[in-house]
Amino acid sequence: MGWMRRVTRAAAHRDESSARTHPAGADAAAAPGADAAAAPGAATPAAPTGTAVVVGGDALVGAPGPDGDRVPGDAGRPLLACTDLTKRYGDRVAVDGVSFSVGRGEVYGLLGPNGAGKTTTIKMVCGLLPPDAGTVSLDGREPARDAAARARVGYVPQDVALYPDLTAAENLAFLGRLYGLRGTTLRERVAEALALTDLQARGGDRVGTYSGGMRRRLNIAAGLLHRPALLVLDEPTVGVDPQSRHAILGRVRELGRNGMAVLYTTHYMEEAERVCDRVGIVDRGRIVAEGTRRELVSRLGEQDRIELTATGDLADLAEQCRALPGVERAAVTDRGVRLLTSDGRRVLPALLEAADRSGAAIDSVEVAEADLEAVFLHLTGTALRE
Amino acid sequence: MRAALVVAGRNLRQRLRDRSAVVIAVIAPLVVSALMSLAFSGVESFHYTLGVVDADGGPVAAGLLQALRQPELAKVVTVRRLDSRAAAAQAVRDKRVAAALVLPAGFSASVTGPRPLPIATLTSVDDTVAGTVTSSIASTFVAQLNADRLSVATALAAGVPADQSARLAAAAARLQIPVQAVQRALGSRPLAAVSYYAPAMAIFFVLFTVSFTARSFVAEREQGTVERLRATPAGARQIVGGTVLSAFVFAALAMGTIAVVTSAVFGADWGDPLAATVVGLSMVLAVTALTALVMGLARTQRQAEGISSAVVFGLALLGGNFVFVSVAPDVMQRAALLTPNGWALRAYMDLATGGGGLGTVAVPVAAILGFAAVVGAAAVALAPRAVRV
Repeated sequence: MGWMRRVTRAAAHRDESSARTHPAGADAAAAPGADAAAAPGAATPAAPTGTAVVVGGDALVGAPGPDGDRVPGDAGRPLLACTDLTKRYGDRVAVDGVSFSVGRGEVYGLLGPNGAGKTTTIKMVCGLLPPDAGTVSLDGREPARDAAARARVGYVPQDVALYPDLTAAENLAFLGRLYGLRGTTLRERVAEALALTDLQARGGDRVGTYSGGMRRRLNIAAGLLHRPALLVLDEPTVGVDPQSRHAILGRVRELGRNGMAVLYTTHYMEEAERVCDRVGIVDRGRIVAEGTRRELVSRLGEQDRIELTATGDLADLAEQCRALPGVERAAVTDRGVRLLTSDGRRVLPALLEAADRSGAAIDSVEVAEADLEAVFLHLTGTALRE
Repeated sequence: MRAALVVAGRNLRQRLRDRSAVVIAVIAPLVVSALMSLAFSGVESFHYTLGVVDADGGPVAAGLLQALRQPELAKVVTVRRLDSRAAAAQAVRDKRVAAALVLPAGFSASVTGPRPLPIATLTSVDDTVAGTVTSSIASTFVAQLNADRLSVATALAAGVPADQSARLAAAAARLQIPVQAVQRALGSRPLAAVSYYAPAMAIFFVLFTVSFTARSFVAEREQGTVERLRATPAGARQIVGGTVLSAFVFAALAMGTIAVVTSAVFGADWGDPLAATVVGLSMVLAVTALTALVMGLARTQRQAEGISSAVVFGLALLGGNFVFVSVAPDVMQRAALLTPNGWALRAYMDLATGGGGLGTVAVPVAAILGFAAVVGAAAVALAPRAVRV
């Protein structure tokens, strides 16, 4: 991981210096061995546009990260600014006026259930889908129209997008060449990426022979190979074993600390809480709330989240719970019912009686302080699916 | 352009590792062209051995033997005298002769009488062509004989003295079997089957490039790798361009390999090397344009397979890759000129039979390139659709 620390710091430095030395419009990919992060596009400081940028900018200034760190963001200069992004498929609105910004050194999470519009949003960010309305600006450039802007983005798709009949090294070298890497630089970057993902010993093996976890790690390495200014990860831990998941989250967190802007989508609350400096909660194509974890949770006041693990008629159980005094929200989850209450301990006896009345069998009850799950429930009235 | 070369390089690497692609592009056309050449090797120069039993020994039988030894008929038939009908039947069974004619004893004498004896034809199911030709020879001879008998009878009825009948019969014995089919090649050299089927099969299997390139590209799109490429600085046209460039190189390599091997091993005549190469590359370009078009049209692997199968077999059937265009109905011969492969085959036939160089193939090459340009323009317009996620 040491190389990554050095790289991202160097890249951040080049961002600053290249603003004075590189002409705009040149293509980073055209320069052999050039770092994508040093692309001229990175040099153009962009004035943030749209109200969302202002909101994001506030959170960036000295906002503590999940571990209490100060966010090393560049206040007032978000790298990525999305304004009023809208995407429709026929009559269905997949993304409805989404605005947010991501600063340098910030890990920004889009948290929401499957189908909320997260993937569509990041496809617009990466220039893969044209928005029906709104703009995407990466330091003033639009990735969909500007190859130099795309050269500064590392995209890690949700599904492993690699060639199984090529080796890991061949996959990385191929993608590296498309980002303009050549010769010694390319070989070094491939070796570093394989080391980063602990795949040095298997670099010469075809990806088709890899386990699911190894492919996931390589999938992420492919997005980091050209040392992008912005890393976009679309649910990178789906289907990953706990050990690989832990490693991936740790690395993402470290990338953010080292100055890389990261846009991270997930439907796992604990991932958002662990790695993201700020979170945009997405529901039905809209960002319904945004801020640091502390800001979002503070909206709930002193509320508790109660998890009932139960079997039986869960819809009826949720309905019975909603009628109880002190229960603000109740929603069915995969394993039972999730509630938001003003005082968890006081509500508990009544909850058990309600379960009796509905005929549901309670397996366990967990009372927890408010978290992003509770925020989501509070804002949408539904539970994030597990 | 650089990104397109990078994409093409990666595609070629994968293609060369894919054994099924190499089998389809190189080995299959070699095997099929060799088999078809063997199957049709007799068509353009048919010849067989005919057994003849002359139990008659008379002048009419002698006339038939003399007719069979005429220079034009001798190109098709070699006559072998046999002693008896039983010996002839055994020779046919043993395949020492392909068919046999038996002229019975008293045949010449019977010709002038009221009940002429029949000529027996012995044929085998193993060589139906020889049997058909032998029956045709016998029928033609008998028809001529009957015409002469009718002439003699008419002459006698008209008052010619009866003692002249022998002279008339002798004249009949000198009859000639008319030569009904003479081979005439359009060019200065005859066209060997292998010289037709080698390019025909090479082109047919090169057409399959459309199928496996388009299908694998759509599969990549479904698997998300095309999306990942689109997130790089490479543009849509570079991604599509790189893919079809690899198809061009692969198809050209396959075509060149087939040309060299069929020339060296099977003796196929591809004509002037430069002109043959120009025709081949033009054809490969047309195939490449078709590949790009199918990549833009198909949204699923099933669609890619369906469209490319229709394209490959439609063009192959119309263009004459399975049968000699020259034996097809007129409408099919015209339809062949609507296809690039039809023009390419025509060019290769011209080169193989008439010699010549670039001038000989100028018109076919222009037609093929025109096809490639029209299809290619449509493909370029569809390129953004091809990489749409």
